[in-house]
This record gives sequence, C-alpha cells and structure tokens, in this order.
Amino acid sequence: MFQSFRMSMTWLHTWFGLVIGYVLMVCFFFGALSVFDREIDRWAIPETRFEPQVLPSFDKMLLPIFEKMEPLEEELDAARDRVGGPLPESKPVMGYSAYTTHRDPVLMMFSEYAITNNPDDPRDHVHGYITIDPRSGAQLSDEQLKIGSEFFYPLHYSLHLHWANLGYWIVGFAALVMLAALVSGVVMHRKIFREFFTFRPNKQAQRSALDLHNLTGVVALPFHFFFALTGLIVFASIYLPVGETMFEDVALKQAQEEAAATGLAFDPAGVPAPLASVDAMVVEAKRRWAARDMTGEVGFLAVNHIGDANSYVSIYRAGTDRVTLTGQGIHFKGSTGEIIREDPPPSAVEGVTDFMTGLHLQHFKHWMLRWLYVLGGLAGCVCIATGFIFFVEKRKRAHAKSGSSGARWADAVAVSTVTGIVIAAAGMLVGNRLLPTDLPDRGFWEESVFWLSWLAAFVHAAIRSAPVQQARISPAWREQCWAIAVLAVGAVVLNWITTGDHLLKTLGEAYWPVAGFDLALLAAAALAVFAARRLRLREIGAIEQRETSSGGAEAAHA
Amino acid sequence: MSASAPSLSPLHIALRIIGAVGGGWLFVWGFTTLGIALGIATGMPYDEARTLLYLLAFVVFLVAFCWSFVTASIARVWLVLAGGGAVMTGGAWLLLRSIA
Repeated sequence: MFQSFRMSMTWLHTWFGLVIGYVLMVCFFFGALSVFDREIDRWAIPETRFEPQVLPSFDKMLLPIFEKMEPLEEELDAARDRVGGPLPESKPVMGYSAYTTHRDPVLMMFSEYAITNNPDDPRDHVHGYITIDPRSGAQLSDEQLKIGSEFFYPLHYSLHLHWANLGYWIVGFAALVMLAALVSGVVMHRKIFREFFTFRPNKQAQRSALDLHNLTGVVALPFHFFFALTGLIVFASIYLPVGETMFEDVALKQAQEEAAATGLAFDPAGVPAPLASVDAMVVEAKRRWAARDMTGEVGFLAVNHIGDANSYVSIYRAGTDRVTLTGQGIHFKGSTGEIIREDPPPSAVEGVTDFMTGLHLQHFKHWMLRWLYVLGGLAGCVCIATGFIFFVEKRKRAHAKSGSSGARWADAVAVSTVTGIVIAAAGMLVGNRLLPTDLPDRGFWEESVFWLSWLAAFVHAAIRSAPVQQARISPAWREQCWAIAVLAVGAVVLNWITTGDHLLKTLGEAYWPVAGFDLALLAAAALAVFAARRLRLREIGAIEQRETSSGGAEAAHA
Repeated sequence: MSASAPSLSPLHIALRIIGAVGGGWLFVWGFTTLGIALGIATGMPYDEARTLLYLLAFVVFLVAFCWSFVTASIARVWLVLAGGGAVMTGGAWLLLRSIA
C-alpha cells in the first residue's frame, strides 16, 4: 500500500484500530463481564440467590413441567412469517431438553414443537423456553431478565443486532481486525521487549498512553490473539455457512448415515411409544462416568422424538473438571431405557477444536483461572482505550492548528465506548434495583435503561469534547468517571436497601456471587474516582508542569 | 511511527478495504470449500473436514487481510483474493460434483 512495509502496517493498525476499536471495547468489556455472567444473574434476580443445584428428578418434577410448556410467542410470530399464513392448531412436541452448570442455581428448560405446514421446510419447528427453581419446580417469571447471561453475554458476540445476524458479522470482523492489529502492532514496534518493561505514568499523556498500550498489548498478546481467534472459530458456521449451502446435501447425508450407524434415529418412526424412566438412565450415565473416574453431574439432558418408538435420551456430563468442551454423551433408547451408545473419544481435529472453544467458553470450575480471564479481558480494554487516547493526543495539536474536528470526534466516541459502556452497564444495574418488581415487561425496561444511559453518555461526550479542538483534555472523561463512581456505589447501596444483602452479610455467609459482584462494583467506583482526580490534574496541567520542573526531556516539546 | 504516511485517494482506500474484506472473505470461502471437498475426496468424514478447515480458515483470512494492505498493487489484491477465491470455489464445486 505504501512504500514501506512498516508504514502500511501502521496505517492498518491506526485506522482499523480506531474505527473497529469502538466495537472491540464492547466485545472485551462485556466479554470480561460474561466470565461471571451467572453471578451477575444472581445479583440481578434476588430470588435466585441460593446455591447451585444438580439436575432434579426428571420423572417426578421435570416431565410434568415440560408437558405444560408452550412455544414462545415471538417464535410463533416468526414461524407465521416463514409459513406465510396461520399455523396449524396442533403443534406436535418433538423434543425436551434441560441445561444447567456448576454455577447455576436455576435450571433452563427447552422444548421443541413441529410446524407441519411449511412446504419449504418439512423440519420447521419452534421452541419453548422457561427457567425454574429446581428445588420446588416453580417457574421464574419471564419478565425477569438474566442481565449477565441473557444481556451482557450475548452483547459481547452479537451486539443484540439480530437482523440478518448483523451483530455477529460486525463482531466477527472486529475479531479479525483485532488479530490484524496484534500482528501489525508487533511489526510496528521493534523494541517490543524493552517496551514490555516501560511505563512512565507521569510523562505527557501521549507517552504514558503509548507505554500502557504497548504494555497491555504485549503482556496479554497470547490471550488477546487466542480469544479473537477462538471467538471466530466458535461462530465459524455463521461466517462460513458451508453446511447450509454448497455442502447441504453432503451434511444431510452424513447426518443420516451417522444416525443409521449410531442408532440415534434421525427421524421419528411414526409409531407411538411411552417414555421409560429417565431418572434410571441418569443413574446409569453417572455410574458409567464414575467408572471412568470422572465427576458425574449432568450438564445437559435431551429427549428426542418425544412419544415415538425412535425416541432416545442423550445425557451429557457437565465438564467442570477440564478446559476442553466435554460431553461424554451417553444415549438411551427412550421407550426401554437400554443403552444405545456412548460417545467415542473425539478425533484429533475435534479434540483441538473442543479445547480451543472450551478455553473460550470456560465451563470448567477453576475460580483463579476465571479471574485471570477477567483481568485478560480488562487488559484488552486498557489496550484499546489507550490506543484511542494515543490517537487523539498525537493529533489534537495539529488538528487544533488546522481547525479540524477529527480528533474531537474520535475522542467523543472514545469517551462513550470507554467510560460510556461502564455507565450504561452500571445504570442498568441501578435500573434493575429501582424498577418495580411487578412491572410488566421489566426486562425490556432494563434494556432500555442500558441503551438510553449509553446514548446519554455519547451525547454528553459529544457536547463536552469541544476543548479537544483547542488541544486540551475533554472534561467528559473526568465527568463520566464520576458518573461511574456514583452509579456503581449506588448499585451496591440499592442492592442492600432492596434485598437486605449488604456486604457484611454476603461476606459473612461467603455468598460470593453477590459479595464478589458488590466488591467488583466498589473497586470500579474506587478506580473511577482515582482516574477522575488524575484527570483533573491533567486538565489543569499539574502533571505536565511537575514533569517539566523535574527536567523531563520529552516534556520540552509537549 | 513518526513518518507521516503519504496521502491516498479515497477511491484507492475504498478499493483496498473492499478488496481486503470482501476479497479476503471470498478467498477464505474458496479455501474452506475446496479444503472440505478435498478432505471428502480423500476419505475424510464431512464433519471432520469442516472442523479442520474452520480451524485454519481465520488464520488464512488474517494473512490475506494483512497482505492486502502490504502489497503494492490493488489489482493484485483483487486478482489474488477475489479471483483466487472464485477459482477455488469453482474447483470445490466441480470436485464435489464428481464425487457425489
């Protein structure tokens, strides 16, 4: 592109880093929060603050609940659009499944119903979905949004833009740019090892920001590279949908052949048959895992072809004891409970993929590794944010002279994607505690609080960023830091007032999902206050002056 | 870092970016489909071949993407990425037809 290799790479790093960095902030920040998504769920839904539960009795508790489940309204609407008219009165049930993890007190239940009048797709179907308290079987209200696992977590890979999977594509492209930014970043910096040990917090902002950018970029480079790459691999079938296009026939043929070979029927037989005791199958599955010396709690259980002679039950192990995605699925004949098959060990290729995606999805039980993930994600945020600051600091004097507003707008968007997303998240938590518990469609209002807080942060950043055009620091950074501090402390206090679970109580009971999240909020508030005070010093020039008076050579051309 | 880049026309930049992103995707699509077809042709199960190619696809995309900004000629970016992608996709399609 340019004469020199390094210059081309620098261009790539600068411009893609800036524009896509705004998206990457969302991926990294909410990805870091997703490490503790289940714990955030507990914080947000106080009636689920109890210990994680194992799968309850299928025969006694789950089956009667499954039988009462209904398809989701929004899925029926979508099916009407696909069919282009009304749906048949009867929607035969196809399958039931239940999912839990070692961090979930609640149990998620899914059901599947056939849509029989779609001429384009004979396998068309819709789903039902509920969450229950597995101690009593009581259904949790649909109005309760699981803020961690249903909002922050999908935000980090889909941006909640579902039209044509647009959000997935944007995030996928951002992941590619992240990889390219890491490669080009290494190319740009020859003295990478020395930069590793360099951080000069009292130098001018441009120098300090670059130091921190290099330090976080280099120190967490393998982490960042791996997460961007595995994120792409997880959703590879969206980005490269070979199975639905060129290889559709091959994929269908293989699935059918596999079904014939494994005895796990691809289609129902059309002959009614009762379902044997699933509890007995669970006991047998656990016995077989124990025989292989594996911790044997059920993570996922699925009953396929309900009420049919071809019905089979698949029971998968919750993979808490290793990084790789595990299943060790054991499959039973639904009508008799006899074993059909045990999944063989994965092939080498599947093993690598399972390990890589497992490392990203972290189903394992290892709290220190979990915290390292959070730190890695936040290091990514620091790396991207300091990249923004460096971009602005490097240009703002020249832009101030030439009258360009480029640096100002880059700065305003940076403020709204750095401090702004924290405000949106903390605002949502405050909203979660303040909105009336019986408010219809409460989850919608919680989401609205998030988006409106974010919008407000952007408007504020845009209005307050005028000083950047005079080569000064936008006060929006400092003001939004104060907003974060107020909202984060407010969330902790409101949690105390509305639920009675103050920190002394949760710490005393060692109830870490809530205690840990409260502490994290307080730490965020403390960091925000520290940052706000430092920013104030920067704004009035105290830090640069101190540096000049101590004889800093580089400050001379500040 | 310090040397300022010579300015490029917006058209050049647009063609470069579209070539890198769109052309890069087409190249990776061709690479993936041809790889899977070759895998099937040599006796690999489809699932296994697909999983293997998914592991490689984004590394190939990364190299293609970076290369499109380093190489001198835009025509070469388009020829190699879009052209190469189309050729590989065609190859995959022909191969698939001959073995199916």
